[in-house]
Amino acid sequence: MTTTDLTHLRNTARRAPHRRRTAGRWFVDTGWRHVVAIAVSVFAVFPLLFVVSSALNPNGTLTGSNALFSRIGIDSFWRILSDPQNPYLRWFGNTLLVAGVTAVASTLMGALAAYAFSRMRFAGRRFGLITIVVIQMFPQLLGAVAIFLMMSAIGDVFPAFGLNTHIGLIMVYLGGSLGVNTYLMYGFFNTVPVEIDEAAKIDGAGHARIFFTIILRLVAPILAVVALLSVIASFSEYLIASVLLIDPENQTLAVGLVKLVSNPRYADWSAFSAGAIMAAIPVVALFLALQRYIVGGITAGAVK
Amino acid sequence: MAQTSTASRPARAVAPPSPGTVRSLLVKIVLLGIVDAISLYAVFMLVLQDNWVVAIVVVAVSALVNWIYLSRRFLPAKYLTPGLIFLAVFQVFVLLYTGYVGFTNYGTGHNGTRDQAVNSLLASSLQRVEDSPSYPVTVVDRFGELGLLVTDPEGDAFVGTADEPLSRVPDAEFDGGRAVAAPGWTSLTFQDVIARTAEITALAVPYSDDPNDGALRTPDGSNAYRYLSTLEYDASAGTMTNTQTGVVYSDIGTGAFVADSGEELRPGWQITVGFDNFVRAFTESSIRGPLVYVTIWTFVFAIASVALCFGLGLLLAITFQNARMRGVKYYRLLLILPYAFPAFLSILVWNGMMNESFGFINQVLFGGASIPWLSDPNLAKVSAILVNVWLGFPYMFLICTGALQAIPEELTEAATMDGARGWGVFRQIKLPLLLSTTAPVLIASFAFNFNNFNLVYLLNNGGPRDTTTSLPVGHTDLLISMVYKVAFTGQNRDYGLASAFSIIIFLIVAGIAVISFSRTKALEEIQR
Amino acid sequence: MKVTKRGILGLGSIAIASAFVLTGCQAATDDGGDAPAGGKLTVWVDAERVDALKGAAEAYTDKTGVEVELVSKDNATIKDDFIQQVPTGEGPDITMGAHDWLGELTTNGVVAPLELGDSAADYLDVAIQAATYDGTVYMLPYAVENIALLRNADLVPEAATSFDDMIAKGQAAGLTQPFVVEQGAEGNPYHLYPFQTAFGAPVFGTDASGSYDPSDLQLGNEGGFAFADWLSGQGKNGTGVFNTDIDGAIAKQAFLDGTAAFWLTGPWNVGSAVDAGINVAVDPIPSPTGEAAQPFAGVKGFFLSAESENKVAATDFLVNYLGSEDVQLELYKSGNILPALSAAAETASSDPIIAGFSAVGADAVAMPAIPAMGSVWQYWGVAQAAIINGEDPHATWEKLAADVAAAIG
Repeated sequence: MTTTDLTHLRNTARRAPHRRRTAGRWFVDTGWRHVVAIAVSVFAVFPLLFVVSSALNPNGTLTGSNALFSRIGIDSFWRILSDPQNPYLRWFGNTLLVAGVTAVASTLMGALAAYAFSRMRFAGRRFGLITIVVIQMFPQLLGAVAIFLMMSAIGDVFPAFGLNTHIGLIMVYLGGSLGVNTYLMYGFFNTVPVEIDEAAKIDGAGHARIFFTIILRLVAPILAVVALLSVIASFSEYLIASVLLIDPENQTLAVGLVKLVSNPRYADWSAFSAGAIMAAIPVVALFLALQRYIVGGITAGAVK
Repeated sequence: MAQTSTASRPARAVAPPSPGTVRSLLVKIVLLGIVDAISLYAVFMLVLQDNWVVAIVVVAVSALVNWIYLSRRFLPAKYLTPGLIFLAVFQVFVLLYTGYVGFTNYGTGHNGTRDQAVNSLLASSLQRVEDSPSYPVTVVDRFGELGLLVTDPEGDAFVGTADEPLSRVPDAEFDGGRAVAAPGWTSLTFQDVIARTAEITALAVPYSDDPNDGALRTPDGSNAYRYLSTLEYDASAGTMTNTQTGVVYSDIGTGAFVADSGEELRPGWQITVGFDNFVRAFTESSIRGPLVYVTIWTFVFAIASVALCFGLGLLLAITFQNARMRGVKYYRLLLILPYAFPAFLSILVWNGMMNESFGFINQVLFGGASIPWLSDPNLAKVSAILVNVWLGFPYMFLICTGALQAIPEELTEAATMDGARGWGVFRQIKLPLLLSTTAPVLIASFAFNFNNFNLVYLLNNGGPRDTTTSLPVGHTDLLISMVYKVAFTGQNRDYGLASAFSIIIFLIVAGIAVISFSRTKALEEIQR
Repeated sequence: MKVTKRGILGLGSIAIASAFVLTGCQAATDDGGDAPAGGKLTVWVDAERVDALKGAAEAYTDKTGVEVELVSKDNATIKDDFIQQVPTGEGPDITMGAHDWLGELTTNGVVAPLELGDSAADYLDVAIQAATYDGTVYMLPYAVENIALLRNADLVPEAATSFDDMIAKGQAAGLTQPFVVEQGAEGNPYHLYPFQTAFGAPVFGTDASGSYDPSDLQLGNEGGFAFADWLSGQGKNGTGVFNTDIDGAIAKQAFLDGTAAFWLTGPWNVGSAVDAGINVAVDPIPSPTGEAAQPFAGVKGFFLSAESENKVAATDFLVNYLGSEDVQLELYKSGNILPALSAAAETASSDPIIAGFSAVGADAVAMPAIPAMGSVWQYWGVAQAAIINGEDPHATWEKLAADVAAAIG
């Protein structure tokens, strides 16, 4: 299919003036793209219909029935929003806070590290680059125990950083996100021509100024991708958040919602689904907002 | 953004260096000041807690941070320090801690300290003297010594302390049949009782001179009961003695009190056991049988998941890289949805959809067929990969979409002008560039899927079960979930063994990663 | 240039610094909140039952000045968290739990014995049996639960007299799968246990006090093989009454949709059936043999942490407050299960549903709590699932008996 893609690029380059296209050419040009897009979209969205159906059926199970949308009602949304036992809006706010701070800080930290690795030559550079990503390959199955002990020790010194605090959780997330983020950005930084830095240096700019005012702008697409991935990761992270955040008022959406269904005998799948749907809204909105940067082609223009 | 403005703005911005200089110097001083203030506070608190080792580490690290940022050298360190601190504290610590646990016997029956075990054993060994009544009590104090003011069933008052057995108090004050005060003693209010919980919990007042009558203890501060202890702890010899049978349990260095007959008292406590867990990990007979096929499957699963997710993600990224295509925005939105919903929820949905008799796929899509999606050993593997691709392709789609932006269209155009064919352009120009950007992500993704416990556990719990072994291992179990089952099902949750396995798996994955990285170096050189 | 470079680089530490600054703010607000006047009790509670305990917690604080903090915990992780956190000193003073955790909790030394005193006589016998482990009481029981047969009285107006009668009545009502019970790929021995007991094959024999005696394995007796044969006949290659593809959600939906008239389940599911407008009747479990089909009893309760620094207050709160009739009734309302306190149980039994369940559980024996139960359930479920799916019943049951005997040592 990629062949077709590029063939088409060549074709359109040659025949740009011809505006009228036949159905066949339309298919070669964009039609097949729609076919692929629709097929994959169906694959992507289909299982989520169960979630929507369950959310709209106040008494429903998640997968007990194949009769989707047999009942429609918004009771579950109301139930989850108004239950004092499950402070959904608090969870929502906590999640936004944690995800937002984590995304900004981890993207910035990753970008700083990637800049150093990409632009500077120093002893241990290659080794450091590999080490930070390899460390992250440690299976986290038992990590929660260690993190719990760590945070309870930190909490003895700084109660405000320890267990049951958002700062504590954010710090753990920052530690966990450095490796892959750095590497992802490192590759991207490498594609920004060094000539740009050199030109700026000749103009008298320091490395920090080059970094903050020039490079960061040029790598905006990858910053947007990393920030988005970070937000999504924070939204769905369960294990560490559930260990660190004890009070219901402090918990994040993932922790709070899972509690609704963790006891199979009392599991409220309908409210859980309703909560999950609403939780997906900020992620989708953020993606919409960032799409411009992710696919805006800023680099192509700037590199010239 | 228009090209001209982007290109010219940096040049304008860098021209006058002075105004920013003062401000940034200020910012730096303030930030370093905050960091130092916090470190100082931490050191102060740590010293108060007598935690000298950590205090010294904190001093050393903050000195290093100051030096790095105040010095004119160490340019790379200035960029790397913030991230490395978090990495060291939270990632490296987890790794080291797990490594340490791998050398201990931490697990069921050995999860606390020796003191905790002793206390717990002594507490559970208390047996209430048969047919003894409950005694209303008032906790009383005399010059700091606690005593119990006891009302016996006949209504008479007695007082006693840890050292003195009960003796009658003729002139006690009563309130509703309960002695509430005695001359020479101060009665404790409930608040006082709460404040001195530790002393009161430890207080045992002998009932009489005969130890076989037991001692009175009050668990709640208002009622006391007579108990006999069946275990006695000899602190100097470090042994437990069963007072009824006379059996002596001694600490022989296995993390528990053990009798000569080999009988062990539970709970025991945590000790380090050297390489025992690692030896067990390699010699454990129960895992040797399924080990080979589980390992093969783990590799197949991880490689197939990464390859398919990446392939699908890349295909989609390329598909949408077309200015004339309409509705791209909406397609993209739909495609990231699987990633935006909690994986835990969607895996359960897939589990339901793949149910053989009732699932949507068989009942609706295949019109009532009974395809054993999750119960046939081979098909279950396909299903696991399918679900994992569903979960993972949006991530790769985002990465590829971002990475494609890094490849200037000019390159493609130039190559096309030079007469390269479509596929050739892609394979020789775009793909290598794309791979050099994404290779680390692919390797990281491989490592993630190698240890993708959640998917396997939630989708099918590793099933279908391999009925030929006594171990609860199934045909879709990965190494990590097999480890989980070996270490955590059954009688003992063996964190020590599980940690040892984690370390071994980490070494395998890290080894693969390092080799892969050294190969991607070649790719990297292409563009430099 | 040099100054600029270093200056702006300082910004690099903004991530750390902003975290520190934010923390400072939070520290200020946090410290105001927790200044316990007369000590503080932390109680871990199932998310569903926090409300039921609020009244008791407030009453206790009013009377004694001891603050009671109710922490709603994820039911799935509460036991492991408790075992992990108690030794670190971070755990709660009291946790909610189930009696079958006792083996594991005592082996790990994380629970303290609890003296119920004279009030022990006020509880149902089965509750006290369940709260006792190795002769010592560790749990304050609050509820006793067991499964029973729910019947859709609109579809089948009369109770079934036997297992076969139930299937026949359901089929007469025009249903193809009239009876559902929760299974799964790895079986569900808890839900099949009544049928097994009807064949005279309890898992263990009982001792003098009526509790199970783990040293007397009965699973592999003759009745066990008869049960295995029967199960095989009702499985995939037989009548198909049992199907491992029916999980909890499918069983529930089938009953709610009226495609099944009988549902073997616990009181926790009655609420949703009533809400869905089903005319629910609670019947005894129909026996396949004529002998009584006895389910397990599960007892819920509260445990006291071995490392609690407030044992006196905690014991007082448990025995004298959570053991009161009012609180037990509150808990009953939040979960629809029979209170463990006899007086409260009597009050609750005015509800026909509760009365139905407690009649079924009248002679039920509490599930064994030995630490080895974890692996016993595993082997048991997998063996039953294999038999339902058509494997040889005798050989499978024999392997089960051997595996279980090995597991409990």
